Amino acid sequence: MATTAEGFDAHGTGHDDHAHDHADHKPGFFARWFMSTNHKDIGTMYLIFAIIAGIVGGAISGIMRVELAEPGIQYLGWWAQLMGGADDINTALHMWNVFITAHGLIMVFFMVMPAMIGGFGNWFVPLMIGAPDMAFPRMNNVSFWLTVAGFFSLLFSLFVPGGSGPGAGTGWTVYAPLSTSGSVGPAVDFAIFSLHLAGAGSILGATNFITTIFNMRAPGMTLHKMPLFVWSVLVTAFLLLLALPVLAAAITMLLTDRNFGTTFFDPAGGGDPVLYQHLFWFFGHPEVYIMILPGFGMISQIVATFSRKPVFGYLGMAYAMVAIGVVGFIVWAHHMYTVGLDVNTKMYFTAATMVIAVPTGVKIFSWIATMWGGSLSFKSPMVWALGFIFLFTVGGVTGVVLANGGIDDNLHDTYYVVAHFHYVLSMGAVFSLFAGFYYWFPKMSGRMHSELLSHLHFWTFFIGVNVIFFPQHFLGMQGMPRRYPDYPEAFTFWHQVSTYGYYIMAGSMIFFFVNIGYALFAGRKAGANPWGEGATTLEWTLPSPPPYHQFETLPVITDEHDYHDHRPATA
Amino acid sequence: MGQMHTRMKLATLAALAAGLALFAPMGATAQDAPAAAVEVAAPVDVATAPAPAADAAAPAEAPVSTYTPMAPTKGKGMPTDPRSGEPGAMMKSLTFQDQYSDNGEYALWMHDVILMPVITIISLLVLGLILYVVVRFNRKSNPVASKTTHNTMIEVIWTIVPVIILVVIAVPSITLLARQYETPPADAVTIKVTGHQWNWEYTYPDHGDVNFISNMLPPEEALKRGEPGQLAVDNRMVVPAGVPLRIQTTASTVIHAFAVPSLWFKMDAVPGRLNEKLLTIKEPGVYYGQCSELCGALHGFMPIAVEALPPAEFAAWVKGQGGTMPGEDAAAPAAAPAEAAATEQVAVLTAR
Amino acid sequence: MATLPPTLHDADTGRRNLRVGLIAFMGAVFMLGLGYASVPLYRLFCQVTGFGGTTMVASQSQAARAATLATGQTISIRFDATTAGDMPWTFRPSQSTDTVTIGQRDIATYVAKNESSRPITGMATFNVTPVQAGQYFNKIQCFCFTEQTLQPGQEVTMPVLYYVDPAMLDDPNMRGVEQITLSYTFHRAADPVNPAPARTN
Repeated sequence: MATTAEGFDAHGTGHDDHAHDHADHKPGFFARWFMSTNHKDIGTMYLIFAIIAGIVGGAISGIMRVELAEPGIQYLGWWAQLMGGADDINTALHMWNVFITAHGLIMVFFMVMPAMIGGFGNWFVPLMIGAPDMAFPRMNNVSFWLTVAGFFSLLFSLFVPGGSGPGAGTGWTVYAPLSTSGSVGPAVDFAIFSLHLAGAGSILGATNFITTIFNMRAPGMTLHKMPLFVWSVLVTAFLLLLALPVLAAAITMLLTDRNFGTTFFDPAGGGDPVLYQHLFWFFGHPEVYIMILPGFGMISQIVATFSRKPVFGYLGMAYAMVAIGVVGFIVWAHHMYTVGLDVNTKMYFTAATMVIAVPTGVKIFSWIATMWGGSLSFKSPMVWALGFIFLFTVGGVTGVVLANGGIDDNLHDTYYVVAHFHYVLSMGAVFSLFAGFYYWFPKMSGRMHSELLSHLHFWTFFIGVNVIFFPQHFLGMQGMPRRYPDYPEAFTFWHQVSTYGYYIMAGSMIFFFVNIGYALFAGRKAGANPWGEGATTLEWTLPSPPPYHQFETLPVITDEHDYHDHRPATA
Repeated sequence: MGQMHTRMKLATLAALAAGLALFAPMGATAQDAPAAAVEVAAPVDVATAPAPAADAAAPAEAPVSTYTPMAPTKGKGMPTDPRSGEPGAMMKSLTFQDQYSDNGEYALWMHDVILMPVITIISLLVLGLILYVVVRFNRKSNPVASKTTHNTMIEVIWTIVPVIILVVIAVPSITLLARQYETPPADAVTIKVTGHQWNWEYTYPDHGDVNFISNMLPPEEALKRGEPGQLAVDNRMVVPAGVPLRIQTTASTVIHAFAVPSLWFKMDAVPGRLNEKLLTIKEPGVYYGQCSELCGALHGFMPIAVEALPPAEFAAWVKGQGGTMPGEDAAAPAAAPAEAAATEQVAVLTAR
Repeated sequence: MATLPPTLHDADTGRRNLRVGLIAFMGAVFMLGLGYASVPLYRLFCQVTGFGGTTMVASQSQAARAATLATGQTISIRFDATTAGDMPWTFRPSQSTDTVTIGQRDIATYVAKNESSRPITGMATFNVTPVQAGQYFNKIQCFCFTEQTLQPGQEVTMPVLYYVDPAMLDDPNMRGVEQITLSYTFHRAADPVNPAPARTN
């Protein structure tokens, strides 16, 4: 135990001037931010990038919600012309498909994934396992800039021809043959290329995380002592590593089908468009867990911290994530129930899909059990975590409804599905992102944000997203198909309500940005551990913000009575 | 400005539909191109598209159709507008459309009686537990946290109980799937649905190859006819009620999905392959649906209208289309020489 | 590089990292390979199991063996024809349905006509419905096995020689199947001499 304390004294409290200088030696601006090899700087860049992408993706959803506030086509023509398209109805309607495609791709690949894995993963995995940095710091930098390049490729695709107008209008699923023979022009090529870039970045990142977590843990930090957030990133990294290459293969085949005359998915040459769907969803279903598992990890840390209690059923929690990851690979065809599967296949995928509810239930109940008997304080991260648990449950149970192949025959590709995946992502993933952001912002910036603004942000956002998405269940059950720019009169009321919800949600983001500005310019200085005795993971033993290089002498985890408490004995 | 845009859209859509109709049926039937073009270029308000076969065997006098498109019933086969002010409209707008097929009723029962209560109870249970811990275990009420991190009993319970619930759900779910996959009898009325960019083509292979294209009606035209905008079409898919239907779907260029919410029916139309499903509509009526797989710019503008008629009226409609009911097929003798020719060719093929 | 934390210069950690990193990366490469391999594997899977209503190919001797198992039970076969959007052919079955004895071979014919003014090569894709019938629907000869070229205005009658495997009578999944639909779609084959006109939306 004594060794641990010494290790921390060396740079943690800065008594040793030499070590302090070394630990805080920073390169010049260009070298620091463009050639960065520092996991915390790269994490910061990922977070800033994700916020920018989130603003773009969120603005696009605003365009869509405003368009859908009334039946008829209101603004699409204006947007089509702004993007350089022709002044005709086909171009305007194509613009709609471009918006849904861009919104989906941006939110999935350039907002949620970079924020969770690139941002929080990079920042806190090395800190939590007591590592000085990631295993491959330069590759880490390559991953980030590949993601940025992917984003620019996608933005570029919006301004080049893609069929009936500028941009790729294929949906984020890029189904063949709409994406091959059905979309003339380079826009779809650029959109696919953007997925290649982002995918390559993520595969490199996954390799990096796996190596870091396996090899760079501090002495004594066994796998079963790792914080659950690290577990979640580990499982996510495996999902990325095994799922993304399949997407890469599938979209590369799309590219060659489009440009080099191959017929992988073209029935004219013996290909099968349904195979593309199998490949896409073999990637796509693990992808949804990629987007939520790190969120699970963050929620576990936060709930434990603010309950002042270790996570209930730690091993169950860790292996529930492993189980979700494994089962996530064998349920893909529930996205394809209407494609013409035979009865046995559909029954299998119905059963397998419902199995996922079990480990998910274990997680939900374990979070509640963690709070049970605890001493809860409702700081900003905690309220977001509580919101997450409830809303993710709501999104989860509608998933059980959709898992039934026979029920899905009616709900497939309707707004019910839109509501479902926004409850688990827009409220699951995004609530966990905000929870994590408020949890770690003091650590990352060294400044405290305003609790008042954070709570206002929470309540307005909570109301806003529920008003947006809850009525979409009604629309879906009534038969409103997704990806429609216009609708019969009967759907007007709930669409209007949904659009009002968007205004509330958008307004609530003002609190978020004001809060960041307030914290950075006027926020109180944050101590090493602003959250008190519940915060037991290693990052809270370092000053806020942590030194440029941490753990030059590795911390030793010697704690034996309670494997959730990673604090060195003297902390 | 919004108004202007809308009107512009409608006009363009109508023009576009007419334009598309000229090209869509190309190659769909054995007709020579000019005849096909004339057929679909006919004004939309002639609801009875002339039969594709300028059938020599058909009676000389042009069939005077007694068929007029059935007026849809409000709230049946279409979404309900909560603003309509009718009693119960708001409640009806919150859930599924009323179902008009046996499988639809079973699925709706399963949703309303099993799934909906289960998911509501689970959500409320989680909400209740959260509220309880918030009240009971906040820092004021419970200043010292317990250190409990395990309780094998409760962990087993919250693993086993969900498994039991899922099994309870699985039983009707598997039953529903088995019912949905029942195969149509040999004499089921066959309708082949082909998705085009962007309209539907309906073929009745057992009824003298009756074949026509169905385009969306411009919304103001739909309103004039008392039909819901964006759902009404010029030529409906007319079928007999209470009789098993063999619905087959395919597509010419990209994937579409043929979907009718009030019949609990959705099946993808995939180019290069045929999908098939049994459907029995319980009672006459007009049932609206929409394309449900992204298929390009006008994805939102290729609705489906299924009109179920009593079988006798269906037979009359077929006659009106210049078709024949099975059993009175005049073309049967023609098969013989074709088969002879085929035998010759088989011989050639096998000789190779 | 100055920005690298000093621990990374530890050669041992570096080597171990490289090893784990490479193993992980190989995993990704393997999945990439699997992605491409899925194309032939999926085709093979469909051809062997009849997945998705893929029909079987049978030899004359297999057909003869099936014929000996025929019990005299009959089944209705429906013939369906579709042409892809860019295919200027008309294509239809000579008759829309036929009743055949299960196990006995039978011939069906389709008629195709090139309505354009240039030679067109077509390739037919096919499947049967209900999809579980795929593994019992055997083709001995079929126009769909090869590409077909039609001269302008040319009309041909194309045969398919097939039988329905009596094994279907023992399969519970086939219980209640009264009619099998054999469906063909003619696509325009890639033809460098007469390329399809560029699609314009």
